[in-house]
Amino acid sequence: MRADNARFPLTTFPWKRTLQEWLTIDAPVLIYMAKTIIAALLALWIAMKLNMPDPRTAIFTVFIVMQPQSGLVFAKSYYRVLGTIAGVGISLVIIGMFSQDPLWFITFFALWIGLTTAAGFKYRNFQFYGFVLAGYTLCIVALPVIETPLEVFDIAVSRFSEVIIGIMSATLVSDIIFPRRLLDSLITSEQERFHNILSTLSDPKSVFATFDDANPSVSRFSNGVVGLNAIRINSSFESGSDRKERQHYQYLNHEYMNLSTTFHSLKSIIAAIKNHEKIEVLSALERLYTPIASVLKTVPETLLTPEDLENVIRNLLVVKNTIQECSESELKRLKELTNSEEEDDFISAAYLIGRLLTELHNHCATYLSLLKHRLSGNAPRELSRIVRFSTHTDNVLVALAALRGSGVLLLTMLFWIWTAWPYATLTITMAVVIGLLLGTLPSPLDGVKDFFKGALIALMVAALYDFYLIPAYTSDFLTLSLLLAPTLAFIGWMTTKPKLPIFTFGFVFMFMSQCALDPYYKIEPTKFLESSLAALIGIFFGGLAYLLINFWSCSLTQRRVAKILRRQIIRLCEGPLTVERSSLESTGRDLVQQFSTQGRLNMRSSRLVFEWLLSTLEIGRAILTIRRSLQRLYTQYHHSSIDTALESIKEYFESPSVLGRNELLTALHKSLQDLHSAQMPSQKGQMKRIKTLIVELALIRTVLLNSATFPVVTEDSCH
Amino acid sequence: MPLDITLFGIQMPTLLPIFVVSAVVQILLDRVMSDAGIYNHVWHPGLFRTAVFICLFTIPCLLIYR
Repeated sequence: MRADNARFPLTTFPWKRTLQEWLTIDAPVLIYMAKTIIAALLALWIAMKLNMPDPRTAIFTVFIVMQPQSGLVFAKSYYRVLGTIAGVGISLVIIGMFSQDPLWFITFFALWIGLTTAAGFKYRNFQFYGFVLAGYTLCIVALPVIETPLEVFDIAVSRFSEVIIGIMSATLVSDIIFPRRLLDSLITSEQERFHNILSTLSDPKSVFATFDDANPSVSRFSNGVVGLNAIRINSSFESGSDRKERQHYQYLNHEYMNLSTTFHSLKSIIAAIKNHEKIEVLSALERLYTPIASVLKTVPETLLTPEDLENVIRNLLVVKNTIQECSESELKRLKELTNSEEEDDFISAAYLIGRLLTELHNHCATYLSLLKHRLSGNAPRELSRIVRFSTHTDNVLVALAALRGSGVLLLTMLFWIWTAWPYATLTITMAVVIGLLLGTLPSPLDGVKDFFKGALIALMVAALYDFYLIPAYTSDFLTLSLLLAPTLAFIGWMTTKPKLPIFTFGFVFMFMSQCALDPYYKIEPTKFLESSLAALIGIFFGGLAYLLINFWSCSLTQRRVAKILRRQIIRLCEGPLTVERSSLESTGRDLVQQFSTQGRLNMRSSRLVFEWLLSTLEIGRAILTIRRSLQRLYTQYHHSSIDTALESIKEYFESPSVLGRNELLTALHKSLQDLHSAQMPSQKGQMKRIKTLIVELALIRTVLLNSATFPVVTEDSCH
Repeated sequence: MPLDITLFGIQMPTLLPIFVVSAVVQILLDRVMSDAGIYNHVWHPGLFRTAVFICLFTIPCLLIYR
């Protein structure tokens, strides 16, 4: 594209650009619509040909798993199959054991729904779908046969076969007809992120200017870690995705997390230095940073070739080898001008600059390796260690979800028993679906409203099909397909709109359960109206549950996050030393991501929570390094004041108070003084360890002194 | 080979276990081929994958129904 533009002036080929735009923006939507129609009709045809009792389940499954990118379809299908197997299995067990005993039947039903809701909440990505389906399948298999329990095996087998038919057609069509690989979108976002890093770091202002919202590149620096990890996981289901490439992405994500933590710590320390107007320290740091920025300035703005990147890496290595000497000479000069506190500031900031440089160097090397791997298939970098992305879900949120799931089930069961309405089983199913599916949304109540709107519109469309179009115009499968195609295309189009997912889901759910897609036309107006009414009441009950069990407020969330982060630091102070930095980082990020979508934080508080996270990560990492160095240090260099400092860190985070903070600061100061005044060991390894201790203790002290943001709730930022 | 077999007291068409076995074989084969980089030299990996599966599934089927 770029080469073309250079050769031909654009004005002479306006159609070319238009065509390009159409190809990149509109054509994929059209292709996707065609793909959904083909997959849906294929599933319907096979299900009717095989004489399945309910072909609607097959076509519904197609719409559940259909996604523009192939990898997403496979991931969703995989978990849908697992969920359906679990659901069918548990239905056989429950019906087999408790079909004559309402109390036990309802108890186990409620337990299972609670369990699946909780698990769906706890697990990420499409594992969530597996649990949703495990709950939903129990409803559609066990409830219809409650009067005639012996039919359960037939129902179970036919529902399962219909789901499999739907899944097979969806995966087949999306892998064969114009497949769109998820890995390709991963590459684009990784590219964007890498360029973003380089351009942010090449400008000294972005490091040395204070925090401001006018500088978007800085806030952009922290996004997307969790999302990109999800894409990477789902892409593993695609054809032709190789392990080595995915491993590279894993490394890049991990390195990016480290890089952004370092960057933010550095920035907060520099902001504090600026606030206290320590000009000498600041200018010394700026001199230290200038060579890095000047290397990054040589990077071309356009597409990066491996040769360019190799050049950059070589230059970064040169700077990396000299930065230690530079910082030592600057420190000597500062010693004459300033006091010990400013020295600590400089030591920790210079250490962070050094770390930033090392991490940047590693990141560039991994990216280069990925580029080479993609171009020629041989990656120069050996990635042997496995970096895990750990997740953390708060148990209180999970318990709340379980309570809601079981609660709504019991409520609708009561409704069923009291009214003795045969269609109330649909109410139960719908309420359970709402509880399972919308629980992880940022605002479930709005989701319920959207779902309701979609369901209402779908009812009207379904009524049109059931009572006019299908009886009047269909005679065979071909005419049925022609009639259905516009609606299917419409649903496909709606799925590509990011604003309408829940509306679309409500539409699909209602349309597919009410449309007359039976092998032989059998629809009665009373049945149609009664079942629609039952489903709408179910949506209402589901919404009610979100309204009632929802005592989760902004300030409560803040308290909860603060407590979890503090507990993490305490655990690092006394727990085992086997914790990896990668798991520390990814757990924290995943946690904060979840709380900021679940806990309805406003902009200001979610930013506050993010800053808490960063200071926790920095302190936690420093504690780990200190403890590891202490382990390998000979006893004659071991000062008891360091242990006291670690102990007081623990005490401070167990019960934060002003007094505790002062004690902690004195303890840190004492240990630093002890280390400074003691005789440096002559052995090289030991000396290095002492230096690490000094740097890390100074870093903790600086972070404590300067950063106003700790996992301690001091003011209410929610209002 | 018989057209129906009995597994755990349930009678089912032989095609079903064949399908499951060939799916498992396909998954293993797919992993080996993607790690070996074979898909980089194939025009349409998805089609290729489907074709391999159809071969794996239909060869035993043809042997049964011959």
